[in-house]
Amino acid sequence: MECIVQGIIETQHVEALEILLQGLCGVHRERLRIHEICLKNSPNLGNVASEIRLLCDLEQTEHMWTVKHVGGAMRGAGAEQISVLVRTMVESKVSKNVLRLFYALGYKLDHELLRVGFAFHFLRGAQITVTVSSINKMLKLHATDEAVPVTPGIQVVEVTAPATSENYTEVAAAMSSFCEYLAPLLHLSKPGVSTGVVATAAAAAASLMSDGGGTTL
Amino acid sequence: MAAMEGVMSQDQSQQQVPAQPVVVERLNQAVVQQLNLEAVKTRAISLFKAISRILEDFDAYSRTNTTPKWQDILGQYSMVNLELFNIVDEIKKVSKAFVVHPKNVNAENATILPVMLSSKLLPEMEMDDNSKREQLLLGMQNLPVPSQIEKLRTRIDMIGAACESAEKVLADTRKAYILGTRQGPQNLPSLDKSQAAKIQEQENLLRAAVNNGEGLRMLGDQRQMTPALPVHLVDLLSTGDGVHNISDTSGMYMKGTPPLSSNNIISQGNLLQASGAQLMGRPAASPSGPTSATSFDNTTASPLPYANSPRSGPNMMNTPSPQQQTQQQQQQQHQQQQQRQKLMQLPPHQQQLLAQQQFRQSSMQLGQLHGQHQMQFSQPMGHQQFQGRQLPSGHVQHGIGQSQLGQGNQLNRHLGQFSGAANSALFNAAQGSPNTQMMPNMSATMPSQSLLPRMQFGLAGNNPQRSHASQMLNDQMFNMGPSNPGGMMPMQQQQQQQQGAFGNMAPNAQNLQSNMVALQNAQQNHPNFGQQRQQNQQ
Repeated sequence: MECIVQGIIETQHVEALEILLQGLCGVHRERLRIHEICLKNSPNLGNVASEIRLLCDLEQTEHMWTVKHVGGAMRGAGAEQISVLVRTMVESKVSKNVLRLFYALGYKLDHELLRVGFAFHFLRGAQITVTVSSINKMLKLHATDEAVPVTPGIQVVEVTAPATSENYTEVAAAMSSFCEYLAPLLHLSKPGVSTGVVATAAAAAASLMSDGGGTTL
Repeated sequence: MAAMEGVMSQDQSQQQVPAQPVVVERLNQAVVQQLNLEAVKTRAISLFKAISRILEDFDAYSRTNTTPKWQDILGQYSMVNLELFNIVDEIKKVSKAFVVHPKNVNAENATILPVMLSSKLLPEMEMDDNSKREQLLLGMQNLPVPSQIEKLRTRIDMIGAACESAEKVLADTRKAYILGTRQGPQNLPSLDKSQAAKIQEQENLLRAAVNNGEGLRMLGDQRQMTPALPVHLVDLLSTGDGVHNISDTSGMYMKGTPPLSSNNIISQGNLLQASGAQLMGRPAASPSGPTSATSFDNTTASPLPYANSPRSGPNMMNTPSPQQQTQQQQQQQHQQQQQRQKLMQLPPHQQQLLAQQQFRQSSMQLGQLHGQHQMQFSQPMGHQQFQGRQLPSGHVQHGIGQSQLGQGNQLNRHLGQFSGAANSALFNAAQGSPNTQMMPNMSATMPSQSLLPRMQFGLAGNNPQRSHASQMLNDQMFNMGPSNPGGMMPMQQQQQQQQGAFGNMAPNAQNLQSNMVALQNAQQNHPNFGQQRQQNQQ
């Protein structure tokens, strides 16, 4: 299970966001370069279609593969009151044969994308991970070196934290209180809910950047 | 008693106070009046006297040892009590102005009270006080008090003025250097509508891409594998079996493959779990019928030019024909439903041929001995093909008893059929000249070669073909009630045709197709296939 919120930020403000996060989290950023391959299993003899994501971390010299299954989100009146999205998620490290394995199982490639950006992992009431990345698509299959951004001017910000069915309320509360600190720069919401950008983000970014946007003294 | 003492000490302090020249503290005049100290004192003294009289009486009583008159004593006591109460009451009215501590005087307090009551500061405090006063009144001690006050006031004013001017200077400097006020810039740049709309649009794109993958899916014909695979995929995608499913297309093609309709392929792939669903050279003439529900309708079916295709796998190359045929059978089985319509549309003889081909191929699939089984029952029942496919296998195992299935159990067979590695190679070989009308829906899942050998063992020993076929036919009839004699017949009729064709199958890709067309009867092929396979594999 995980709690997740998403937001968008204009690329010009990403540096300011990084400064803000650095100050809030107290850890250094980690570079992120993940090749995400989404496989789908078509309904077969009445089974339900399932979707699997394979993440290959290209930042390490030894490419690490992870398989991730994202399930349905929590629903109901209680879920609507929580400001973060709580959904089932299962993740595991796998060996590099995973792609072949899933193809042999009958999964087919649905889409793939490349995430390039940075991430912060820290503990603040819950083990929170903030990733700021630009989403790139590949014009040719698997051509990760020739990926172009889907939206050049906007990057996506995701704040996630793992949770269990017993403690998800605390985790959600910790996440929301952390997200309030990011309010000057971006709006965060449940995935799928559109937010827009913060109108005053430019001013907030300017104040975060060291020169303050003013003339030199 | 404490009240009395307090009052008395106050008297004393009041007397002392006027003696000092410096500013002294005086009790508020009103309070003093209210206190009416003199009166309180008088009353307190009289009360004191009354109580002492009563005590003397008690003494006398105890000495003379006479019983006291209790009534009198009680009366006196109540009088004294009342008087005390009145005095305390009076004091209470004014006692709000005072805080008395300790409240009671007893043995402990008695000695310390005078010290507590003194207004003189402790020595250290006094020194501190003096030094501060000196600093403040430097040079002014000799002047009269009012002028001292005046001077202090001017000093305070000067300091106030200096503070204000300093603030003013700071504000001016801030403005000059555009540092902004403490509250931040007042004029915030707001997004105008067009900008906001653009951003909204981009945002939707981005969110859809991240969460659902929209905008990232490439259509089948656009999916070109990049020639230079990234490092992390190089090993995975370049070698061996099971590499195929880069896309939904079931086929990996060499160049020159005609565009194939995707639906059948997909459906076959789905049903078969076809990692290896390979497309036969399907000529353009065959629109696929309604596909079984797949979500990847149009994203497949493009040939993938693959430099290092699975064809280069271990078991591939040499027997294209049997594998091809089996694959075709497989696929056709699953396509039955969709192809129903198509069959209807085709001219009748072609329909028959088609049907026969399909049956054949499906039967080939099952191990090539039992093709007829499948042929029969794939005919009437579209969606049951899948089940049927498995049924006859088992059935056949029984019936044929020569263990032609041998080591291949059902599962293996199906798996073999599915693994695309072998298939792709064979199909590519078979692409040569597609025979359109006859094989519109031939899709080419071929069983892996690994299975074939197993099946071959059984085949080799199969001498009486006809009888064998009839056995199988009967078995099939068992399986599925309504067997279609119409379907059967062409098979039998064409049996002879096919045998001749067999000899050419292996080496020539083009022959494959013609062979397949001709191969209406799986039965007769089997021994040949078996031979061929054996040859090929050796």
